[in-house]
Order: sequence, then C-alpha cells, then structure tokens
Amino acid sequence: MVPHYPVNDFGPLMKGMVIGGVGIVHVFLAQFAIGGGMLLWYFERLAQRGPGRSMAAEQPDARKLVDGLFQVLVLVSFVLGALTGVAIWFTTIQVGARTIGLMLDEFHWLWATEWVCFSVEVVAGYAFVRCGPRLADRARSRLLALYAIASWLSLFFINGILSWQLTPGTPPGEGRVWAGFFNASFWPSLLYRTCVAMALAALAACIVINTMNLDRERRAALIRRASRFAAPIAVMPLLALWYLAVIPEDSRSWLLGGSMPMLMFVGIAAAASLLVGLYAIVALLVRRLYINGATATLLVALAFGATAAGEFVREGARKPYTVRGALYSTSIAPGEVAGLRASGATADDPYPLRDAARYPTAQLQRGAKVFRTLCDACHTMRGANALVELSRSWTDDQLRLNIAKLQHTKSFMPPFAGNADDVEAIAQLLEWEQANAPRSWPEHPTPPQIARWLDEAGVK
Amino acid sequence: MIWPFDGDRGGVLALFVATLALHAVFASYVVAGTAYVLARKNAIADEVRTRLPFMLGCGITAGVAPLLFVQLLHQKRFYTANLLLGPRWLAVVPALIAGFYGLYLAKSSERWRRIALVASLACFAFVAWSWSELHELMSADPEWAAIYGAGERFYADAQLAPRLVVLAGAMATQFAAVAAWSTTERRGLAAIAVAGRGVSLLGALWLWHAGFAVDGPARGWLYLLGGAAAIDTAAWLVVPRRDRALHVATGAGAAALLAAVVVREAPRVALIEPDHGPSGGVLAFAIALVLGAAAIAWVIRAIAPSPPR
Repeated sequence: MVPHYPVNDFGPLMKGMVIGGVGIVHVFLAQFAIGGGMLLWYFERLAQRGPGRSMAAEQPDARKLVDGLFQVLVLVSFVLGALTGVAIWFTTIQVGARTIGLMLDEFHWLWATEWVCFSVEVVAGYAFVRCGPRLADRARSRLLALYAIASWLSLFFINGILSWQLTPGTPPGEGRVWAGFFNASFWPSLLYRTCVAMALAALAACIVINTMNLDRERRAALIRRASRFAAPIAVMPLLALWYLAVIPEDSRSWLLGGSMPMLMFVGIAAAASLLVGLYAIVALLVRRLYINGATATLLVALAFGATAAGEFVREGARKPYTVRGALYSTSIAPGEVAGLRASGATADDPYPLRDAARYPTAQLQRGAKVFRTLCDACHTMRGANALVELSRSWTDDQLRLNIAKLQHTKSFMPPFAGNADDVEAIAQLLEWEQANAPRSWPEHPTPPQIARWLDEAGVK
Repeated sequence: MIWPFDGDRGGVLALFVATLALHAVFASYVVAGTAYVLARKNAIADEVRTRLPFMLGCGITAGVAPLLFVQLLHQKRFYTANLLLGPRWLAVVPALIAGFYGLYLAKSSERWRRIALVASLACFAFVAWSWSELHELMSADPEWAAIYGAGERFYADAQLAPRLVVLAGAMATQFAAVAAWSTTERRGLAAIAVAGRGVSLLGALWLWHAGFAVDGPARGWLYLLGGAAAIDTAAWLVVPRRDRALHVATGAGAAALLAAVVVREAPRVALIEPDHGPSGGVLAFAIALVLGAAAIAWVIRAIAPSPPR
C-alpha cells in the first residue's frame, strides 16, 4: 500500500518555491561558511609566518581580518546557516515526506557522520570566536584548520547524499551505500561547490576588509591576498561541463534546450558566474585593482543569483523523479503505478478534503483528492505553475488524453498514477475551475477511451 | 541488553536517547538561563548572558541528531505530525532565528537587553510548546484524519500542559547544574535546582493524573528517575556548604535526565517502526564519532587556559 501523508496547501506558492527559497539561502550561507574557514586559515598562516618581507607590514592586518571576519561568519552563518539547515528538513517534509524518508533510510549513518563534522565545526568556530584573540599562534592555527576541515567534510558528506538523488547508480534499499554515495556526479559536484565556497569567501572578505579601519593601501594589500582565494573560479566552467557529461542524457538535453525555463536558468547561472569570475580574475588577480565595498557586495549578490539559478537547475534536472528511478515527484515509486491504475489514486487516502463543501459533486471532490495526491507537489490550481492556466486552451478530449498519457505529453512528467475515473475526475475539476467554480456542475460519466489511453501510455 | 535497547532498533534508540539528553542540557541552559538573566543582575547572570548564544548554537547543533534518529524510529508518525501542524510548525525556525539574534542583542546592548531577553524567552517557550505538541500528536493516530479535515493547526491533549510543567522544572535544575560549575556562589543556584525538582514533581503528578502511564520494564527506569532525582535534590541541599556535593548533584542529575528521556519514550517504544532495509556506513559514523569527540575534547583543552572574553 502506498503511504499517504496529509497534504498542505501553500496558496499561490508552488511547493518547490517554498523549499527552494529556504534551500538557496542555506546553500549560499553554508558555502560561505566552508570557504570562510579555508580563507581564514590561509590568512592566519600569513599573519603568523608571512611569505618574506613583503608580508611583514600586512601581518597585523591579516590577524585583524581573521578576527573580524570570523565574527561575521558566526553571526550570519552559524545562526542563519544552521537554522535554515533545520528548515530545509522541515520544508522537505512538507513537500515530499517520502523523498526525505527514502534518503534517510539509505544514508542515515552518513547523515549522522555529517552531523558529527558539523558539531566539530560549530565547537571549533565558537571556541575561536570566543577565545581566539587570547590564544597562542599555534592553537589559533590548529583551531582554524580544524574548523576548515570539519566544515569541508560536512560538505563532502552532504554532497554525496544530494548528488545521489540525480545519479543514484544503484537502486536504494540494497545496502550498497558507498556505491550510491560515490555516484557519478559526486566529484564534479563536490569540486564545483568547493570552488564556489572559496570564491564566496573571497568576495565576503573583500566586503569585510572595506569596513576595516585601515588606510586604502593596507586594505588593498589584504584584498590582493583575498583575491587569490577566488582563483579556483577559473576551473568552474570545466567542472560544470564534467557535471553535465555525467548526468543522465534526458536531464542533460532538457537543461541544454529541451526546456526553455531550464535553459534560461542555466544561462542565468552561467552568466552570473561568468561575470563574477571575469571580475575576480581580470580585475582583481591580473590587473590587481582595488574593489570597494559596494562592488564587492554587488558581486556577492550576483553570486547569490548564480547559486539560486544553479540550485534550481540541480533540482529541476531530476524531474520527473525526486530520486531518479526510485521515486517520482508525486512521491510514488515507479513500481506502485500499476497498482494505483487498478485501485485508483485515492482509494487508500485516509485524509478527507478540508473544503469538501466547496465542490458541488462527488466527482469534483474526487478530482480535488486526485489533484492533492498527484499534482500538488509541483502545481497549484491558480497560483504558480497553475494547472488551470496550463490547460485552459485544451479541448475536453485533449485534456483527458494529455492527463492519461501524461509521461508522453511532457517528458518531465511522471505517468498518471490513477485509473480512468481519476482522469475524468481531475479533468472535470479543471474545467469546473476554469468556469470559475459554479455552484452546480453535472456529473460526467467516464468516457471509455480514457482506459484505452491509459493502457497505451503504460505505467513507465 | 536492557529494555528498551534490546530490540532490533536498540542502537538507534540509544543514540536517540543520548543525543536528546545532550540537546536537553544545552536547551535547558538557554531557556532557564534566559529567564535567570531576566530576573537577576549579578555576576552569574553576567556570565550566563555572554554564554547564551554559544549554548543556543550547541543546543541547535545537538538537536539535529535526535531529529535525525526520530525519523528512523518513527518516520511516518513524525512526518504526519509535521504535516498536520503545517506552517504553524514551520514557525519554530523563524522563532529560533529571532531568539538567537535576541540573545546576541542582549549580550551586546545594555539598552535593549531586557526587551531582547523577553522576546527570546517567548520564542523559546513557543518552540518548547511546539515540540511537546508534536510529540503528543505523533502518537494520536486515530485523530489524524479528523484533525486534518478540520484544518486544525493546534493540538492540545490533557498531557500537554503537565508535560510542559515537568519540562520547565527540569530545565531550571539542569541550568543550575551547568551554571554552578563556573561559580563559587552557589546558594541561589541550589535554590533554583531544588525548586525545579519540586515543580517537576508536581508536573509529573499532574501528568500521571492526565493519563500518562509507565508499565512493564519501563517501571525500572521510572524508579531510577525517582531515585536519581531524590539523590540530586539531597545533594543540592548540601551544595552551598560543600563543594564536593556538586559532583554528586551533577552525576545524579545526569542519571535522572537519561532516565527521564527513556521514561518519556516508554509509551511509544512499541510503536517504533521496523528497520526499513539494509544500510551501510555505520563504521564511518563510529569512526567519525570517536574522532569528533577527540577533536572536541582537544578544543576544550586548547581554550581552557585562556580566560573567556
């Protein structure tokens, strides 16, 4: 039996927007924290040793930057970053409880390992911010190294779990956790995120340096050092190509023109990254120009845009699955579709409609339950990605046909996981909604051709 | 292996209990500590105020682990309760963020100290209430469909209020136990610890009256809880006169905390879901746990000689 969970309505917001909003902020802050740890370790080493005489004058400033930037890191990343991480968990439950459950079932020990790394990161971070200025050089350096390593390991583990969703390699539930963890997109994804983290840290450091009470020359010296940390941004295009090469062919073709919105987001991510990269490499590294706080902030905002678009692409590339081959975006496993074709999509759903009185017929009520079970994860009725608008120009039979043969209508849609009566119920619901929900609406018998269309479409 | 750790999921349950107890130590310090700083102006309050954001950071980090393990033990119940409370449940995250920044504000600004502490305390109380509500709702499966159909976003059964009273008392005692280690002026903290135990006892009686029952092998844990709490209370009465009694109070308090977590879980041990299938990586976790504990111990040692800011 397919497990049913209560479904919440977020009004005009598509559920993906809810989790996307939280997820993007979290990813951005987490990457800043990871890169920040590495950058501060680098600056601490500069402050303690300095490569030759040229660094001598910068040493106290480097130390000042380390202490100042770490305060920002803790205030922003440890609070907002940590809590948006918890929020992702909660919002993912709202959007796809079965998906997060499947990921946990598969990777709970590695998730627990990630938690250990995060705990070390937090303890090392707080210890540094609280006691760092009073510690001896050796202890400071080691504490920062521990923080940097723990935070990167945290990325290492979570990256394996997230990349598994698109390129699982082996089916879940077989206990081959390492084969799934080191999946095809693990390394390009890990290296790409590491480069992003370093670039973000460099840009954030440039903002902080501009707030430091130093003359321009000394700030410029620090900025030149921080800019070096953005250098790995140069290899990001290669890593992106590597990533594109290893993802499934249908996902790749969809990102590269098969879907206009996806192509647009790929373009936004690439263009924003390119602009940040060009500025970092040409202006900061090659020409050694000064960057003021406003420009650095603008570049961070661009990097945020690139992160947002990139995460959208990563999430979207998985469709019609949330875990490729294992779970559709409807939270139904491929192997369960045939059973639901026989029993109906909502036969085992124990939850009543919250607004049953709104619907004038039992058929429309059934349609509302089908919508809740099969459509609500990605669509709204009248808000973002609205079904009413997507199907408004379709004729009655076209509507039935397109729903019955859903996976053929759009390649990123899953097969319809219900029977012919469910198709007719959701078709009637859409027509009723398009007619602005009149008080009376006739019951429509299910046309016999729907069953044939469902059979022709198959369950895969 | 002793009950309830003798089942198939005993290892996960043990990790859940241990990490939830750890989370409770930090969370108690934050909630009761915020109330203490609001009520008192002394050296202890000053010290506590500077530590609150750090302790909340630790509390949230420690809280992630039981959040992970509860999804293995009670996946369907946890997700269903989350979804039934819906956006109202999601509000715990902005509440924690607001509470977190409130603590930072209280630490850095004398002018905003009081209002920031009141706001933070209100946020934490909301989170504690929401967690207790979720805990109750997880076991209320016969009511789920009706709650969903009615669009209810709040769930209050007879055990919710007494549960919160038990929690409030336990938090006060736990806070006193942690705070007492960094001061020699322990009279006030001892009074808080003893009063906290009294409040918890009254809450426990109320909870029992409201229908909370512990049967079978769980009774052993209840007796352990009672015994440890009694020793803990007696030790606190001696703490103002003898420093060594603090060791006894802390040890007995830790035992009481662990036993209390087991007793809390006892009614739903029978509801634990069977293992969902083979999974790997336990060795990686075990190694990481040992190395992580060693790293944290090293950090504590490294900063120990350095007096905090």
